[in-house]
Amino acid sequence: MRAAACVILVAMTTQARIALGIHASLSALLALIVVVVWVAADGSGLFWPAWVFVGLFVPLAIHAGVRFSQRLPTPSERALAITASVLGTLAVADVAAWAIGGAGEFWPVWPLSAFAVGLAVHALIVHRHRLFGSAREEELTERVDELARTRRGVVDAQAAELRRIERDLHDGAQARLVALTMHLGRAEERLEDRPEAAELVRRAREEATAAIGELRDLARGIAPPVLADRGLMAAVEALGRRSAIPVSVEGSLSHRPPLVVETAAYFAISEALTNVAKHAPEASALVTVSERGDALVVEVADDGPGGADPAGAGLTGLRHRVEAVDGRVEIASDPGAGTLVRVELPCGS
Amino acid sequence: MRVVIAEDNALLREGLIALLTDHDIEVVAQVDDGPGLLRVVNGHKPDLAIVDVRLPPTFTDEGVRAAIEVRRRHPDTGILILSQYVEPVYTAELLAEGAEGVGYLLKERVAEVRTFLDALQRVAGGGTALDSEVVSALLRARDPRAGDGELGALSPREREVLGLMAEGRTNAAIARELVITASAVEKHVSSIFSKLDLPASDDDHRRVLAVLTYLRAS
Repeated sequence: MRAAACVILVAMTTQARIALGIHASLSALLALIVVVVWVAADGSGLFWPAWVFVGLFVPLAIHAGVRFSQRLPTPSERALAITASVLGTLAVADVAAWAIGGAGEFWPVWPLSAFAVGLAVHALIVHRHRLFGSAREEELTERVDELARTRRGVVDAQAAELRRIERDLHDGAQARLVALTMHLGRAEERLEDRPEAAELVRRAREEATAAIGELRDLARGIAPPVLADRGLMAAVEALGRRSAIPVSVEGSLSHRPPLVVETAAYFAISEALTNVAKHAPEASALVTVSERGDALVVEVADDGPGGADPAGAGLTGLRHRVEAVDGRVEIASDPGAGTLVRVELPCGS
Repeated sequence: MRVVIAEDNALLREGLIALLTDHDIEVVAQVDDGPGLLRVVNGHKPDLAIVDVRLPPTFTDEGVRAAIEVRRRHPDTGILILSQYVEPVYTAELLAEGAEGVGYLLKERVAEVRTFLDALQRVAGGGTALDSEVVSALLRARDPRAGDGELGALSPREREVLGLMAEGRTNAAIARELVITASAVEKHVSSIFSKLDLPASDDDHRRVLAVLTYLRAS
């Protein structure tokens, strides 16, 4: 009856606190009364009120245990707390009974062992997910961290490698071809009296010049020199100048972002502008570069017809580049409202 | 003509020297970095410095920076930038203090020997020589809907002529390029001069000013 009342009261915290208080006071009062009765009776011999104390203690301790278990977050943890308080109370009661009964052979060892095993089994059941799950979770978190780190490393290494390839092209193949055209130019001059041979040399020179042009476009696609030399703003300005549509560039940066972030931003803008030129050749574009906290934010807005397909090849390629450095892409392209591509790139390593 | 060369690639340096020597142009000094350029221009006071954009120690735009410094200290020395790529940003910086005696050409233009030698003469004499790619990059950069300032008054044909002038072409070369007569070119040129309100002075100087106006409008 009292236990049932307990459970109901426990559900309502303030009332539960009052109930526990009343319970404790009543228990204390009862204990006092039995001691008074014992003293009044004769005040000597067997201290029988001790048994009453045990009887009062057991429900009070269980009540308190149930009450405090309610503070725990999950039902399984609450159940475990109740088990612990019940078994703990019974264990104390057993030891008390043993002590009151003359402290002979320590018989409570048996019930105590049983309680301990029971509690251990319950605890194991409740925490099995935590025990094994937490190890798994930790392992996964570690793995994600490691992957993010190594991917960043790969992207960094790739950016550095591309830059090296661009330099090698510049100092190697491109320079050799330029030297070749110089020699051909000189040869051509000396063949003025042999027009057929001069014509052949001229054609060879033009081929070499075309090859130089192709290599230059290739090198620019790999790692635009002005990006490395002058940073993102200058490179974006140059990009705007090369674009087939009118492009204005706004914004400024307080410091240079890491190479890989700069490169990702550059190619994202390049891709976005190529898209505008392809799908909205009549439009003009506005590129905005800004910093937000630790992130670099670039926006490419156009006044074209809108309705861009986010799954199209251009925007997909852009997304891949940005996601490789943990960036985010947002595309707003309602028909008739132009297209806005917003890219946010975290600069932290 | 006396020139100095700043080029870090030995292959190109030697090719260039051979070509210039063929045409009795005296290479008084050759260096392979930016600080070296300033030193030899100081020492030799050449007519012209031929400068590569990418030089040690930074291997970025060292050449442009050194060239700008040379221009400040020795305005009489012509500067011809040779680069493997066109960067309007660099051209704009070079031209910021005037277009007299400035050139910016792609390296492979050297192989068109006649044109290249003409460009050398022009720049050493205080004229300009801009690669057609530089000019077209500047041309493309212009928003057709934005105001063009002084250039707004020019007809499309006059703009074309002005673009070719910026490359450093002569009237005869412009006539060939546009397949019009030399006198038609002259008419366009004088119309450009008057529309841009350029003071009457010698023709070469007005050409330079016209080009400068053209580039500033971009």
